[in-house]
Amino acid sequence: MNAAEVTKLMSELKVAVKPRHRRLKNPGGSEGRLINLSKTVTALLKYERIEVHYSRGDEARGYAERLISDAIRYGDQHKPTMEMADFWLRDKSVIHKLFKVLCPRFENYKGSATRMFMAPRSYNLDNKDVLKKYKLLSVLELNGNPYPPVLPDRSQKNRRLIHNVLLNEARKEFYLQKQKSESDKDVNEEIVTKHPVENINETETK
Amino acid sequence: MNRFLCEISAVLRNFESILFGRYPFPPGSLGLIVHSPSETTTTPQPFSIKDFIGDGFLWAVPKHRRSIEVRMKRKYGSPQYKMKTLYENKKLQICDTCGNYYESGILCGFCYDKVRKETTLIKEKIMKKLHLKPIDSDVVVLYEGEKGEHADEFWEGKRIVEMEKPRPQWFSKNLLQKTTQPNATTKEVKPEELG
Repeated sequence: MNAAEVTKLMSELKVAVKPRHRRLKNPGGSEGRLINLSKTVTALLKYERIEVHYSRGDEARGYAERLISDAIRYGDQHKPTMEMADFWLRDKSVIHKLFKVLCPRFENYKGSATRMFMAPRSYNLDNKDVLKKYKLLSVLELNGNPYPPVLPDRSQKNRRLIHNVLLNEARKEFYLQKQKSESDKDVNEEIVTKHPVENINETETK
Repeated sequence: MNRFLCEISAVLRNFESILFGRYPFPPGSLGLIVHSPSETTTTPQPFSIKDFIGDGFLWAVPKHRRSIEVRMKRKYGSPQYKMKTLYENKKLQICDTCGNYYESGILCGFCYDKVRKETTLIKEKIMKKLHLKPIDSDVVVLYEGEKGEHADEFWEGKRIVEMEKPRPQWFSKNLLQKTTQPNATTKEVKPEELG
């Protein structure tokens, strides 16, 4: 008997989901907890970038990732996936977005669908509650959003360092050589394919 | 009153020493004896806590002495667990972009503040445009004068959100452009083939 591969029963996520639940405030009991989490998931898919407390965001992130990967895997004709989407997305217009916008966006995406940052602390020491509240705030976002990037562009940071200048020159030289060799090859190929082209022209004139 | 009596007795002792030399009698033999009248009348009774407290009451009191180590730990905390004193933050770093301080592992406050403000503006615009309609296409955010860069057919089927202001300098449009350009499609042509 061939045992089914367990790893393929569930879609593999590109983020590490912690095995334990986070300690969230849930005055509504376990049901209220799920409702609160679904609100966060809905907001994430709708606004594409939200600010939440770290633990809530971290837990909601896993659910959002799972929802997106399931939607990509099974499509909108699959009943359980649709039920899941109906449960997790409280704003029903976002269900359309999930299948029509996010599925094509993340279908051939290399990384994970979501990204998370720690938001800066608020050092408003006059108000102790604010400090407590902002202590573990995080920024949770979908990749490929239309907003300005959270992290500044650091690609040009060390471009004036001597080894980077030398590497750049070496790269330029390499590409020039490559272009040259390819153009030579093209010229050779043209000579080879000259005769068939002439034949086609003859047939057309006939 | 008591002090006054003590002084008198000291003066008397001094006078005594002048009269009879330094140590004529055992000390205190000529001293005044002060007796309060109440002490003489009371008879000794067994000790009771009720006499001591009276109508009042007694809170819980420490039973054992706290050692110095424990006292110090309660005051200043312990380096093994948590220090209560002020200590330096070793995680602070300087942002490469703006030069402000930020904690490593956490976003730079100055840089993120800019992004947050711009994000809320764009978010409001998108929500205003979207209202309650189902979302079926990606949003394209355009700033002032960017729509004219392409023909109208190019924007067809895209949900455009226009910001009525020029694009911020730090929000580059070309973040997704490749740094290495693809090879040129032009070929080298020999001069004889030109004519």
